[in-house]
Amino acid sequence: MTAESHKSKILLELRDVRKWFPVKEQGFVGSRQVANIKAVDGVNLVIYRGETLGLVGESGCGKTTTGKVIVKLEVPTTGQILYNGQDIYAFHTKEDEMYFKRNVQMIFQDPYSSLNPRMLVMDIIGEGLDIHEPKMSKLRRDEKVYDLLDKVGLERYHAMRYPHEFSGGQRQRIGIARSLSVNPELVVADEPVSALDVSVQAQILNLMQDLQKQFNLTYIFVAHDLSVIKHVSDRVAVMYLGTIVEYGSNNQVFTETGHPYTVSLMSAIPRPDPRRKMKRIVLPGEPPSPINVPTGCRFHPRCYKSDGEKCIKEDPPMIELEEGHLVKCHYPEM
Amino acid sequence: MEPLLEVKNLMTHFFTEAGVVEALDGIDLTVFPKESVGIVGESGCGKTQTAYSILRILAQNGQIIDGEILYKGEDLITLPEAEMRNIRGKEIAMIFQDPMTSLNPVIRIADQMIEVIALHRDVSAIEARELAINALTAVGLSEADKRIDEYPHKFSGGMRQRILIARAIALQPSLLIADEPTTALDVTIQAQVLEIFKDMRDKFDLAMMLITHNLGVVAELTERVHIFYGGRVAEVGSTFDIFTKPMHPYTIALLESIPSLDVDKGRLATIPGSVPQLINPPQGCRFHPRCRYAKEICSKDRPPMEEKVPGRFVACHFWEEVEISDLAEQVLGQKKKDIKKAK
Repeated sequence: MTAESHKSKILLELRDVRKWFPVKEQGFVGSRQVANIKAVDGVNLVIYRGETLGLVGESGCGKTTTGKVIVKLEVPTTGQILYNGQDIYAFHTKEDEMYFKRNVQMIFQDPYSSLNPRMLVMDIIGEGLDIHEPKMSKLRRDEKVYDLLDKVGLERYHAMRYPHEFSGGQRQRIGIARSLSVNPELVVADEPVSALDVSVQAQILNLMQDLQKQFNLTYIFVAHDLSVIKHVSDRVAVMYLGTIVEYGSNNQVFTETGHPYTVSLMSAIPRPDPRRKMKRIVLPGEPPSPINVPTGCRFHPRCYKSDGEKCIKEDPPMIELEEGHLVKCHYPEM
Repeated sequence: MEPLLEVKNLMTHFFTEAGVVEALDGIDLTVFPKESVGIVGESGCGKTQTAYSILRILAQNGQIIDGEILYKGEDLITLPEAEMRNIRGKEIAMIFQDPMTSLNPVIRIADQMIEVIALHRDVSAIEARELAINALTAVGLSEADKRIDEYPHKFSGGMRQRILIARAIALQPSLLIADEPTTALDVTIQAQVLEIFKDMRDKFDLAMMLITHNLGVVAELTERVHIFYGGRVAEVGSTFDIFTKPMHPYTIALLESIPSLDVDKGRLATIPGSVPQLINPPQGCRFHPRCRYAKEICSKDRPPMEEKVPGRFVACHFWEEVEISDLAEQVLGQKKKDIKKAK
C-alpha cells in the first residue's frame, strides 16, 4: 500500500492527546490545584476506515477517557484529534461541527443508566434524528425507528415502551439502535457487553459485527476483557496508566506479544479449560495512581523484566517491532 | 466419605408484590470435606440465594419452603437461631461479592476482625488481635500489625478482598462460601487473589463453595462443578468432565458462547432469548424455550436429576441426543467421536 492510499484510509487520528484532571484542595480562601490526575497522558492512535480498534486495559488506565475525548465528551488538555484530517476542536463552521457530531456516536457501558427512564424507546432512538434531520417528517422518522428496532433484533411494539420494561441485553440493543439512527461513520463502544450475562454477551457481539458490515461502521471498542477484544478487533491498543504500551494487529498483539504487560495480562486470565496447566506471571502490586506516575517506564515497578536502572530512569520510546506493531518497552519480548 | 454439606431439594421462594418468585426450585448440592466446588450460572439462576439459604441470611421476603440443608449431618433449616449463630462465621464463612461494600467504612479493620474472632472464640482482645494480624499476614498484607489499625478506605479493592478472606479464615471454618470473589477485580489483581485462595485452601484444609459466572475461574480453582439454570441444577460433574464432556445443552451452549483467547471462534454461538423470569418460570424444563433440542415433553415434564454416568448428574430428557457442535469441538480441542465414546 502506498503512503498516499494509506493516508486516505485514516478516519481518525489522535496526536499526543493528554487529559489531565486537576486535583483541588480546599484552602482557607478558595481552593488551589495541588496535583493532576493524568488519566490520558500522551496517546497517539490512528483509526482506519471500516476497522475495529480494540482499546484494552485495566480500570483506571484511561481507556474510557480516551473514548470520551474522541466523541468530545471531554476536552483534552493538550494534543490534537483529527477527524478526516480536520481538528475536531477547531471546526471552521457550524456545519462541520454538526457533521462530526452526527458521524461519531457512542454506545455506553451501563445499559441501566444510559437510557432516560422517562422517555419512550421511540423518542430515545429518534432523538438524534430530531436534532440532525429536523426537516424529516414524523412519519418517516417513526419508520426509521421501526426499521432500526428491526435491525437490532427488537419488535416494532417495543417503540411504545419505557426502558425499565427491558432486560439488560435488550437495553443495550436500544443503545445500539440510538447510536445508529443518524448513520454514523464511527462508533465508540465503551464496555458495551461488560454488564451483560455471558449468553447475552455473545448475542450483542454478533449483532455489533453484523451491523458493522451492514452500515460500514468503524468501531473503537473499549473493554477490559481481553478475550472479547481479541474476538472483535482488527487492531488492538493495550493501555497502561494513561499511555499505550502496545499497539498492532490482532495477531501481532496476541500471538507475537511484545510488551511484558500484555504478556502478563494474557497469562493472568483463567482459561475455561481444566487441562491447561499454565505458568502464570502474577504481577506484584497494583497499578500506581495516575497522580503519581512512576519515573521512566510507568510499568517498571511491576515488571518482571525491569533492569532496575534504565527502566527507572528513561521513559521507553515506542519502537516498531514489525510493520505496524509498536511496543513501548526497553526490553520487548521478541 | 460423608459429605460436609448436603443440600437436598431446597426450595426458596420470595414473596413480592408482583407475585411469588420461585428463586430456588429443588436444588441438590453436595460439598465433601476439603473439596472445592464451583456453582456456575448466569444472573438470577439462584446461585447466591442458595448460599444465603444455607446461612439463613435471606432477605425478609424470602422463605425456605422445603428441603434439607445437612451440615455435618445436622439440618440447618430447623436449627434454632442461637445455634445458627455458632455456625455462621465459625463453621461456614462467607465472602461477599463486592469488596468495596463488605467492610464498614467507619470502623477500623482491627475492630471489624476482632469482633468476629472474639464472638466465636474464648480469647482475650489481645489474642484476638494477634490472630487477626496472623490471618492478614497469611493473605499477603504487608505490615499487617500497623495497617490493621487503618480504615477500609485506605485499601484498594484487591486489598479489601484480601482482608475479607483473612476475616473469613481467621476462625478456621470448615467451609468457605465465596460469592463472585474476583468479579469486581482487575485481571492482574484477580490473578493474585486466586493464588491466595489456592494457598488458603491447601493450608487450612478448607472446603470451598465458589460461586461465579466466570468459567475460567471455575476451571482453575474447583474440582467439581454444579451448573445452575433458572433456580435449578442442570448438571453436576467433575470440573474436568464438565469442561471436556458437557452433557446438558445449556452447559454446551454456555461454553460455546464465550469468546476465547486461544481459539479463533469466528462467529460466536448464541443462546436465543434471555434468562427466564422466575415469577412465571417456564413449565417443564426451565431451559426449554432456549434449547435447540427441546421437544414437546420438555415443555411439560420436569426432567429428573439422575446419575447418567457414575459421578455425572444431568437433568435433561435428551441428554443422549445432545451433540457437541463443531464449535465446542474447537473450544475443547477434542474430537466429537471421543466425546461420544465417553458417554
